[in-house]
Formats: sequence, C-alpha cells, structure tokens
Amino acid sequence: MSGFKQHTLSGRVVGQAMRRGINRLGKDSTISSAISILIKYKIGGLLVMDEAHQPVGVVSKTNIVGAYYASLPLDSPLEYIMTSPALFCRVDDPLETALAEMSKHQIYRIYVKDPESDSAVGALAYPDIVGMLYEFCSRCPKSLFSHTRDAGLEIVERARIGHCMTREIKDVPSDSLVDKVLEELSLHHIGAILVTDESGRGIGVISKTDLILAYNHGVPLDTSATEVMSAPIRSCREDDMLEEAIRTMIFSDVHRLFVKDPDDERIIGVFSLTDAAMNRSGSCQACVVSRIQIAP
Amino acid sequence: MKRVARDIMDTGFHTISPQTPISEAVTVFKQASREEGRRIFGMMVLDDDGKLIGMLSMYDILLFMRPKHVHIWGQMDDIDITGIIDQSLDKARSIQVGDIMSQEIVTIGPDTHKFLILDIMIKKHIRRLPVVEDGNILGIVYISDLFYDVLDRFTDNEAER
Repeated sequence: MSGFKQHTLSGRVVGQAMRRGINRLGKDSTISSAISILIKYKIGGLLVMDEAHQPVGVVSKTNIVGAYYASLPLDSPLEYIMTSPALFCRVDDPLETALAEMSKHQIYRIYVKDPESDSAVGALAYPDIVGMLYEFCSRCPKSLFSHTRDAGLEIVERARIGHCMTREIKDVPSDSLVDKVLEELSLHHIGAILVTDESGRGIGVISKTDLILAYNHGVPLDTSATEVMSAPIRSCREDDMLEEAIRTMIFSDVHRLFVKDPDDERIIGVFSLTDAAMNRSGSCQACVVSRIQIAP
Repeated sequence: MKRVARDIMDTGFHTISPQTPISEAVTVFKQASREEGRRIFGMMVLDDDGKLIGMLSMYDILLFMRPKHVHIWGQMDDIDITGIIDQSLDKARSIQVGDIMSQEIVTIGPDTHKFLILDIMIKKHIRRLPVVEDGNILGIVYISDLFYDVLDRFTDNEAER
C-alpha cells in the first residue's frame, strides 16, 4: 500500500492481530456494571448496544473517569456517558490502515466488523499490537532472549527505552485532591499521573484504573490523591533494553513504566505500551523492518 | 415429591459484602464450603441493607487473575510463573467483590417449577439461582441439587423396574 514504508506489519490484516470476543453491555446497563467488566477483563473499553443488539457507542475508562468528575450516580445508564458512534474497521483491512485510523481519531481501540455478516467480531488495541510484535521478535534468532542466539550478533545495536519514552511527565503534588487529578488527566489527555512529594520526588501513580476503582468504591472527590494512588512506582532505566521493558509490561499486566534517572532516582520520563506501539516495537536496530510506522 | 424451587433450594446459604477484598473472598468461599459440607463456587452479594446486588463466582475471580496477554505465553519457555502470580495477588489487594461481581442477576420465585429452573439455567448458562420473594432472599438453587433431584428420580424408577 502506498504511503507506508515496508515493515513487520506490512501485509498483515486486522484479523491477525485483533482480540476476538467483544465485551458488550446494553445502553441501559449501569456505569458500575461497566466498571466490573473493564476490571475483570483488564480492558479499556466496551461496546454499548441498543435494544436491537446494534452497537450504538463505546464506553471507555475515560468516559467513566468523566462520570466520576461529574459525580454521576454509579447506577446511571451507559447511554449518558458513552461516545457515539463506535468506530469500526474490517477484519480484512490492512493493519496499517486501522492503526492510521486509530491515530487520526486519537483512540486506543477500534472495533472490528466481519464484512460478510456485518457484525462486530473483535477489537484491536495498542497492547495487542505490541504483543504481536513481541511474538515476532521473540522468534527472531537475534532476540535478546533467544537460546540459539549467535554470540557474533552482539555487535547489533539494540533499541533502548530512551529511544521511545515520553520525556514530558505530568505530576500533581501529594496534597492534591482527587478532583484535581481528574482535571489534570482530562486536560492533558493522559492515562496516568505521577504523585510527587514536597521535594518533587515521585511517590506514587494514579491511573484511570485506580480512579474508576475509587469511583466504584464511593471515594469522594475531595479525598487526598495519596489515598487512591498506587505505590511503589514501577520503573525502568533509560538505557534498559526495549525488549526487556516490553516483556515486563506484557507479563505483569502493567501499561506503563516510569523512567528513573540512575544517579538521583528522579523520574525523567515514562514508557507505555502505547508508546511502544506508536513509535517502534521491534527492539533491535538490526531488524529495520520491525518498526511500526504510522503515517503522520 | 420435589416440584418447585422451595423444595430444592438450599436455605443455609452464605453471602458476601461488596466491600470485601478479593483476597478475603477466597477465605469466605473456603469457610462456606466447610460449613455447608460442599464445594461452594458462587455466592450472593448483598449490600448493607441486605439487598441482592450481584453474584460472585470463582469464575469472576479467575477471570481477574488471568494474565491479559496469556495467548502469547505458549511460545515463552522462561517465564517466572511464581513472580507473575505474586504480582497478580498484589494487584488484587485493591480490588473488592463489588468490582468484579456479575451484576446482571437472574432470580426465581419459591414456586418456580424445577423444569423451568432447569430451562433458565441451560439457556442463560447459570449454575445457581437465588430464590427471592417480596425482596427477601429465601434460598439458592444449585445446579448440582437440581441434577441430583432429577437423577435420583431416574435411578428410583430404574430400581422399580
């Protein structure tokens, strides 16, 4: 396809990378029931259906965090908070087209329709792309983890965290309240924020997952940020191998690692599965094809 | 002869609160199994007013414990399983019963016929049904009790032949 460079994903279609099986709820279902599904299945969003079982929208963690900020009762229907309409691609679409679509709409997940039955059959999200590329890399004889690795390949330069981490970190002081955290996340369109002490040192992280749990537990908006944050902070170093960081995230079900300065332990960046999917996921410079190039 | 929900239901059921941490829920399951003398795989979740607001099954807990990217594990031969289980348990610490319970509850009345109960269980893939009357919980019908009720009748008939 023109406009895209050749790389690992060339020639692959959505059907090969998507996650089959979709979590759906009726538009009259409650926000609380949506939270249960998102937490239990470790997903970021679900499809909302109307009475005729047709998809009418999507409810994501972002929508639920918004409902928390607006203090909507937990038994409010999803119809009040969903984003409509739901965006779809097709099973046989090139993966690159779907990724470009996700990038264009700034969405994290796109639903997949089977063109023959015209029904929703799966979803494609950034972590699934990283998982797919990780599989690809792990089968490569040049892989850091390969048993058959040739010692002569040591000269190959491997990608490190520093190459694709985000250097701009958003934080809130530890005396902030939950409503301030919600405002910051919404303002900067980010999935998590660092909580810092008086000296500016990171002491915890608040993600959207922490916030939807707090909402479900009835935590008031004027609660201290430290009450809902997760600690300790999961971190890595700027010169750590990309391969290792992705592996850590995939196998321990975390979405991001904060990058610490080795000298003074300051947080200098963040690296998430979304960064990995958006920038490059192939972990080694030898494999020039293993980078996802998303059309600008 | 046992005919309706009232005849088959277990009235010595155990319940759990939505604020119970998942780690504790596992203990509650074990304790209930001991007290009832049978393996308990699911429990009714009641709020502070005693209202039925959900069901928690072992399946819900296992779904939460399942690693998200497990589909690519087959190709990895050097994963530290112990570390991964510990990390899952660590995450489960902030999760409460109310966060993962199933909220779409199906209930039956005490006079629901056993074959109608069977029909509901089969069609909706449910293994246990709370028996509710005027908002009060009278008991719970387990698929195993329904199964043995039907099977016992069957073996009785065989014996008479």
